[in-house]
Amino acid sequence: MTQSLIPTPARKYDLNFARWVYRNVEGGDRLSLCMQCGMCSGSCPIGAEMDNGPRKLFMMIRAGMKEEVLSSSTIWNCTQCYNCVVRCPRKVPVTYILQGLATVAAREGYAPAKATAKFSKAFWRSVRYFGRTDERMVTVLYYFSYGIKEGIKRALANLPIAQRMVKAGRMGIGLPHRAKGAGDLRAILAKADEIEARERAGQ
Amino acid sequence: MSKIKFTYYPGCSSQGAGIHLDRSLHAISGKLDFEFETIKDWNCCGASVGHVKGGQLPSMALSGRNLALARQQGTADVVTPCAACYLNTHFVNERIKNDEKARGRVNEALDAGGLSYQGDLKVRHVCEVLVNDVGIDAIKDQVTNPLSGLKVAGYVGCQTVRPFAQTAPGGEFTTYDQPKFLDQFAEACGAEPVPYDKARTACCGGSVSIYSPEKTLHLMRLILQEAKDAKADVISTPCPLCQQNVEMYQDAINKEFGDSFNIPVVFYSQLMAVAFGMDGKKDAALDCNMIKPDKLIEKVK
Repeated sequence: MTQSLIPTPARKYDLNFARWVYRNVEGGDRLSLCMQCGMCSGSCPIGAEMDNGPRKLFMMIRAGMKEEVLSSSTIWNCTQCYNCVVRCPRKVPVTYILQGLATVAAREGYAPAKATAKFSKAFWRSVRYFGRTDERMVTVLYYFSYGIKEGIKRALANLPIAQRMVKAGRMGIGLPHRAKGAGDLRAILAKADEIEARERAGQ
Repeated sequence: MSKIKFTYYPGCSSQGAGIHLDRSLHAISGKLDFEFETIKDWNCCGASVGHVKGGQLPSMALSGRNLALARQQGTADVVTPCAACYLNTHFVNERIKNDEKARGRVNEALDAGGLSYQGDLKVRHVCEVLVNDVGIDAIKDQVTNPLSGLKVAGYVGCQTVRPFAQTAPGGEFTTYDQPKFLDQFAEACGAEPVPYDKARTACCGGSVSIYSPEKTLHLMRLILQEAKDAKADVISTPCPLCQQNVEMYQDAINKEFGDSFNIPVVFYSQLMAVAFGMDGKKDAALDCNMIKPDKLIEKVK
């Protein structure tokens, strides 16, 4: 794990972590307005796959439970349906906060084995090199991120769907689709990384 | 007839899993009052997973580049048919427009590619344009082959209407929970919309369905079950990922839950192309559906 920039609370109910989230996570500035009504968790279609749900997670942030928050399945299983965002009576942008926490957790090494993090890595590789998502490349990279044996197993299990997609003309067998300016895009993304790193170092 | 011009952002699925949306949209634009000029050399919007690995500012820079390229081509509104492309591009556009700090950060990154963008475009969803600029009556006027008796379940999904359902200009085109536009499209085409209130804006699992379908099969099952209960011949949707998920996982759902779903999932634009009397393959792209919409194919002129 890289040296963490997020403060680790020294004792229970230390507000260090909450303040860090308020200031550094997208939408976090509205998190302090959460009144724990539970509209978000009640609206969530995938709550059964979450250990805490957003309402409880937000209280855990306030309680300084950094490790538990950044390891929570709540941030990894969000399907981004935005039910919670449009229904929150305090206009807390719940989905954006979960996204921001996922980014932070992935960067700090909390999620090496999480499917979401693995998939995002494969996805981002396609975007960064080609400027576009190549569905074939992303899924193959993702399957083999579990190792060669598991990769082959997953690829074979999904072969019937892939064959139907090819037959329907929705999956090509040629080279990946690519934006001509993928080189320029890489320079833009590298600069954006640099800006974020600079901001983190100066915080 | 002078056509309304839009700058078109097709998104990555237009070259893959959602190729039939792109093809049928271009076909119906020939009949309706709008035309598309594609953003030259567009890139991915980051969809709903890019941010985890990519980070927040790099994800915003993806849409920033598309918007900068669109602006170089003129001041026409940017339209996209893809739910995730709409969500991301609209979000970034609003941030660049309204948040000086975000505008500065995105532009510092764009400068590395020799681009800049100040937030003076509008980003809109194709369905909203069809409702507000083209109009339901204009769609009706083009129908030469009404889809009489075809029962259609209008499945909107999430990100087409959430969180940005009410996007200026044109005001409110729908609501978050019971948007009517798919039923209006189906009706305009002479088809029969079926009651579909529980699943209309339910979630198909989005990208989680791609990498962990075992967690989301039950969500897609609800979407299919309500369509089946309403005796729908087809499910109609605007979203490329919804179309793909709800169609391709039916075998897996049948296996997991002992169901027997075999319901075609089509795009609203495919219904329109058939209702406009256009070619079933070249225009409506019905050959691209993995579950063949037999009742719709029968209607092709």
